Amino acid sequence: MTYLATYHWGWLLGSLLLGFVAGWIAVVHRGPGVSKVTAGWLSVLAAALLAAALARVIPGRPGYWLDLGLMMFAPYLVGCAIGSWLRDRAISRHPPAV
Amino acid sequence: MHGLFRWSSKWWPGTIPLAILWGIAAWSNTTALESDLAARSTAVLKDALLDKTQITVDGRDVTLAADAFSEDGRRDAMAAVEAVPGVRLVNDETRLVPEAKPFIWWVGRDVVRVTLGGSAPLPASKSKLAEAAHAALGNVEVVDQMNLSRGAPPRFDDAALLLIDQIGKLKDGKITISDNTVSLSGMARDLGGREAIDESLKNLPEGFSVASDDIKAPPYVFQAYKDPVAVTLTLTGYVPDDKVHSALVAAAGRKFFSEKVVDNLKSSVGAPSGFAAAVGPALGALSRLSTGTLVVSDREVKLSGDAFYDAAAVQIRAGLGKGFPQGWQFKADISVKPAQAPVDATVCQQLFSDLLAKGNIGFQSAQATIDSDSLGLLDRLTETALRCPAANIEVAGHTDADGEDSFNQTLSEKRAQAVVDYLVKAGLPADRFTATGHGSTQPVASNDTDEGKAQNRRIEFVVK
Repeated sequence: MTYLATYHWGWLLGSLLLGFVAGWIAVVHRGPGVSKVTAGWLSVLAAALLAAALARVIPGRPGYWLDLGLMMFAPYLVGCAIGSWLRDRAISRHPPAV
Repeated sequence: MHGLFRWSSKWWPGTIPLAILWGIAAWSNTTALESDLAARSTAVLKDALLDKTQITVDGRDVTLAADAFSEDGRRDAMAAVEAVPGVRLVNDETRLVPEAKPFIWWVGRDVVRVTLGGSAPLPASKSKLAEAAHAALGNVEVVDQMNLSRGAPPRFDDAALLLIDQIGKLKDGKITISDNTVSLSGMARDLGGREAIDESLKNLPEGFSVASDDIKAPPYVFQAYKDPVAVTLTLTGYVPDDKVHSALVAAAGRKFFSEKVVDNLKSSVGAPSGFAAAVGPALGALSRLSTGTLVVSDREVKLSGDAFYDAAAVQIRAGLGKGFPQGWQFKADISVKPAQAPVDATVCQQLFSDLLAKGNIGFQSAQATIDSDSLGLLDRLTETALRCPAANIEVAGHTDADGEDSFNQTLSEKRAQAVVDYLVKAGLPADRFTATGHGSTQPVASNDTDEGKAQNRRIEFVVK
């Protein structure tokens, strides 16, 4: 795990920044969100993929790609959370003029 | 917290560039990561005792194919690769090197190359043996056909190295180790090579024994050539040691009374047993030939040449093999020298005198038995007697002054008679010869010295 993180640190940082931007925008985004049911299914899918990765059931290169995808998805989520949280704080301190 | 849930429903648009980013990462990193894992897996197995190691990496999964030399070695190699950071799974395609039973290793030599074959226990010992063969054999091509197998006897390497040293002493042949017995066959390069190998085999490591030793030595050759034109006897080839050497040269000097002995003999081990006992009589037979060659090859004696007269040829053919040690063979190819032109009595006398000036007919001490060393001279005298068929010949015996006169008188008569008997046996008519004895009454030299006495003990031929 440490080896993978060290080896792909650039890509993970990229994912984190991408997540930060996505989270930053999400606070003020007015478009449709993901419904709760879809979110539930997506979580199940993510959990299934994580389980498959941990159980090492997918062999060879696809197995590696799954690991890499999940490893990039994690900093993306963290980036989203930080981005949204910071944007939210920024908005509450300087409420936009109505 | 509630806000985080709310916002998260709108995080999805970022997953599209994330997926693209993921694709690019996978595309650009896969091969590099695979080679990095392969390099580091190879590095951890650098010192492992494995053969035919093959590492293939697919994603993060490593497939390890190798031949291991023990179950522990196999397990350790797997564990080492599993412990490489970044490796997700190791597919085990290792196997144990097959066990050879019996464990056979061999080194063979022919005209152009040395071949190492059979089983070697470890890659290290395999290369060590091949290197030793290169070092021991200089420019000879070394072909390594060894496989790797388990089941080598203890101290195998030491035994094999010792045997590789021995293959250098062979012209062709094969040395085999089967478990802990050694078999050898082939032909030694030099005389004495077989003995040198036998000596080295005593240093085989403990536990090894020689099952069969069929190393043959090159023929042990001794040659003697009697040249009537140059009046020489040339000795070539080998003799066992200096003692036999000097004894043979001395015997040749006695038997070949008129020839100069050219001694080109060399000492070497490896002589067949009974060498001196066979070569001595064979040289005696050669001394009775006018011209001839004696070739002794191992235990085979070949004598070819011309005898002075028919009866001599018959006697040589029949007589020689009898005195040989057991196991020796004798081949005679004896023809008879063409009879020489008859001469008159004066020339005949001159020929007798010339011959007897060069050599003296010897007898056993105080007896009338002709010394076998004198047969060559007697045959020359017989040949001369055959050339003057009209002449009557008196054979006169003389002794030195030692002992009583009556004894010496009788002895000189008996000795003269023995010579006459020899001539008659050779086919000359008995009535042409008279045997007379003079005892010590007609000395030709002083009887005070040994040399003088030897000159006085003589047989004279007087043509009447």
